[in-house]
Amino acid sequence: MNPAIEHAFFIYFFVSLCILSIAVIASKNIIHSAFSLLVFLLHIAAVFLFLNAEFLMIIQIIVYVGGVLALFIFAIMVMNIKEELRHRRFVRFSFIGLAVSLIFFASLFIFLSNVKSNQNVLTHSDTTLLGKLLYSYYLLPFEILSLVLLIAVVGGIILAKKSPIDREGK
Amino acid sequence: MIPLSWYLILSATLFSIGLIGFIIRRDLIVMLMCLEIMFNAVNVAFASFSYYNANLTGQIFVLFSIAIAASEAVIGLAIVLAIVRNTGINHSDEINSLRG
Repeated sequence: MNPAIEHAFFIYFFVSLCILSIAVIASKNIIHSAFSLLVFLLHIAAVFLFLNAEFLMIIQIIVYVGGVLALFIFAIMVMNIKEELRHRRFVRFSFIGLAVSLIFFASLFIFLSNVKSNQNVLTHSDTTLLGKLLYSYYLLPFEILSLVLLIAVVGGIILAKKSPIDREGK
Repeated sequence: MIPLSWYLILSATLFSIGLIGFIIRRDLIVMLMCLEIMFNAVNVAFASFSYYNANLTGQIFVLFSIAIAASEAVIGLAIVLAIVRNTGINHSDEINSLRG
């Protein structure tokens, strides 16, 4: 690929990712920040495509946009929050949090600005190799992960359902 | 070719923005959204290390991280829903029933 076009696309994704994540934080309406998060996740999927990780791009779109974000929007609709437009958005000492985060970012920037990398990059994406690695060397973490997801589903249902005392009261 | 440090600075910027939002916002749902932003920043760092070291282990860790993020979102939203249903509060600085 032409390096100038590659750099231009990367700068576009950098700027738009920053703007979208700030829009998630700063928007007054929660549903607006949910939709900013939707476009943010799609841009992250494009960044994965930059890094020759096509399988991760598909997984990002399926799991985040199809699963997690739908869950967020359903939770917003179930809670039916309306009074947020009148209330203030930020906590009382928010400038201290801002200062701490900026110091954190400055220290990370100093640390990361002269990182060296070797020259043999991942030339093409091979999902077959990824699957073989996942099912041979990382088999035990994969199985543990399935157990974690099962527990998360059961725990989410148990936490979010109405208790039987409430149900008898109504 | 785009150098590695650009991807890492992108990741650090997104993580810092997510951290700012997690600290200064009051709504519990927006705080969970900022957690998702931070997870995605870390995933970009993992994928870029995987690309620049020609090693697929980073992509497998991104898979694990996405699964953990999904289960975290499920549990977190269930807890927020339970808090809103039981107390009617959806702001983080108003939850003070355990404060002495």
